[in-house]
Amino acid sequence: HLFSLLLTLLKTADLNCVYSPSDTSSYSGRDLLKYCINCALKREEDVHVLGFEVPEQELRSELDSNNKHLFHFHNAYSDPLGWRKQSSFTVEQFSAENITRLVRETKHAKASVLVIDSLSWIERHHNPVAICQQLHKLKKGGAIRTICCLLHMDLHQQGIVESICHLANTVITVTAVNNALYAEAKTTHRKKSGKVMQEEEFFTVMENLSLSIEKRPSQSGHAQVHSDAKVDPASNLTFNLRLSEVEREAKEKVALPFVFSQEKKSALLKKGQGSGRIIYEPDANDDFDEEDPDDDLDI
Amino acid sequence: MIICIVFLLTQDLQSCTSFHTVPPPGPCVRSEMFPELNSILSSSPENFTEGEFILLSDRQADASFLIHHYLTFYLRARCRVCFLGLVQSFSHYSVVSQRLGVNLTQAKEKGQLVFLEALKASPGVLLGDESSDKTAALDYLRSPCPELRGLYEFVWNSLSRAGGEDAAESWGPPVLIIDDLSVLLSLGVSAGAILDFTHYCQATICSQLQGSMIALVRCDDEEYDEDEESSNYLLKALSHQCSLSLRVEGLSTGYCRDIHGQVEIWWRGRGIKNQRKIFQYKVHDKGASFFAPGTSRAVL
Repeated sequence: HLFSLLLTLLKTADLNCVYSPSDTSSYSGRDLLKYCINCALKREEDVHVLGFEVPEQELRSELDSNNKHLFHFHNAYSDPLGWRKQSSFTVEQFSAENITRLVRETKHAKASVLVIDSLSWIERHHNPVAICQQLHKLKKGGAIRTICCLLHMDLHQQGIVESICHLANTVITVTAVNNALYAEAKTTHRKKSGKVMQEEEFFTVMENLSLSIEKRPSQSGHAQVHSDAKVDPASNLTFNLRLSEVEREAKEKVALPFVFSQEKKSALLKKGQGSGRIIYEPDANDDFDEEDPDDDLDI
Repeated sequence: MIICIVFLLTQDLQSCTSFHTVPPPGPCVRSEMFPELNSILSSSPENFTEGEFILLSDRQADASFLIHHYLTFYLRARCRVCFLGLVQSFSHYSVVSQRLGVNLTQAKEKGQLVFLEALKASPGVLLGDESSDKTAALDYLRSPCPELRGLYEFVWNSLSRAGGEDAAESWGPPVLIIDDLSVLLSLGVSAGAILDFTHYCQATICSQLQGSMIALVRCDDEEYDEDEESSNYLLKALSHQCSLSLRVEGLSTGYCRDIHGQVEIWWRGRGIKNQRKIFQYKVHDKGASFFAPGTSRAVL
């Protein structure tokens, strides 16, 4: 088995770690987020989700059914700004104190995992510096063991992305490969010792939330079939584009007009039949000077 | 004041645009005006996916033919439609829809269609005329009012009463169509406020009411920088949220009489369900035809 940094990190979450799957619109990092949640549930940890971007049923589907009672979805999707006066969690409530209180309300309060879907949503309403401060407080707070936040890289300026990634111990950047049949994950993990591990892997998330990792996209994948099949452009037409043998030979015999062959050379050197010669006799008015007229120019 | 004049001018232009004379629709009107598109998307007025957020966008082209398609499509499907007409007058859509075989005035009278005619109502709001009850929907014109909460509440009120008042008519799932979102950026609404508005629309109409939402974003090539208040940013952000995206562009080789442009259709899903396909199209009098690149009848 090849060592997979991605799998190892997601399956065994270290203490006080911040994970940040970062994605762009070409491939959604949410599947990886769900995988992360599933791993935490299997480890029997409480998972608290601040869900801004997708409704609860979309995140809950396919999760491990044994420990579903450990999954707590704080609904910030239906009414995040209080417009409908039926909000469960608003974006205004995003702070270390509020989240810590929410997490402490659950009876187990064992190792808790906080999942934020997504940080990009919160960034529209909060100062990025304030967000980093709150995340830092949560990291040091003790109520939360692991924080996993989804970030849409293409929606922020580079500085903001880098500040948030700086806060994280692990950053997983996902991009689409082969029309999103596979995705590439660039994982950067900073250990407590300061050592940084980096890896690039290709993965797919299957229907039952299982992760399949490869070191390079498989050569015999579905996507390859299209490029291997040679398309004959001359087929299925209402006119004929093909050549018969006779036509092919005749085509090869044709001398191209601007190719300087031996025949052309001898034809040029040969004197013509005398039909094209120009005979000029200068009369009295012509100043026929053999010398170069520009000779006196001082260039 | 200057903005006010622009609105009035635009409205005048609409009323004196010359259209071909439209013959009254006969007894047998062809029901499929976009047959290839319906087949590509595997949808028809009788059978379509619910809860979809369809994002339409264009760059150096005009995707409004898709807006006309979806408007007539969902009206034919007997859905309750709320149409936010922010850039054209009602008569504009009415004339085009008539050519496509749907009577918008009748739909409005029956209560199937709720049409926000923003151009007509805007001068009143800008000049401070408090009489109309639709002014709350256009609150974004009054600065400083950065949010589109009023507009959202208008949408919610229009679509949440589906089937309640008219016991005789039971309409299908609610549909919201927005033409278009980019004009809000030009009117001073921030991209964040627009995204909050679309979030609420999606959360209530798509997720809660299982209806559909169609929004058009128009982009300019000049805004390719990292500006967070540009249509490009809006397009990127909405691409994350949508379930289906149709991107219309002109041909890279320039204007062509027989091929008006290309559409990239992106089904956003997981694994094999995530697909992107490109088609070329030509808009004609009663619809548009779609074909695989290079197979236009004019070329073959």
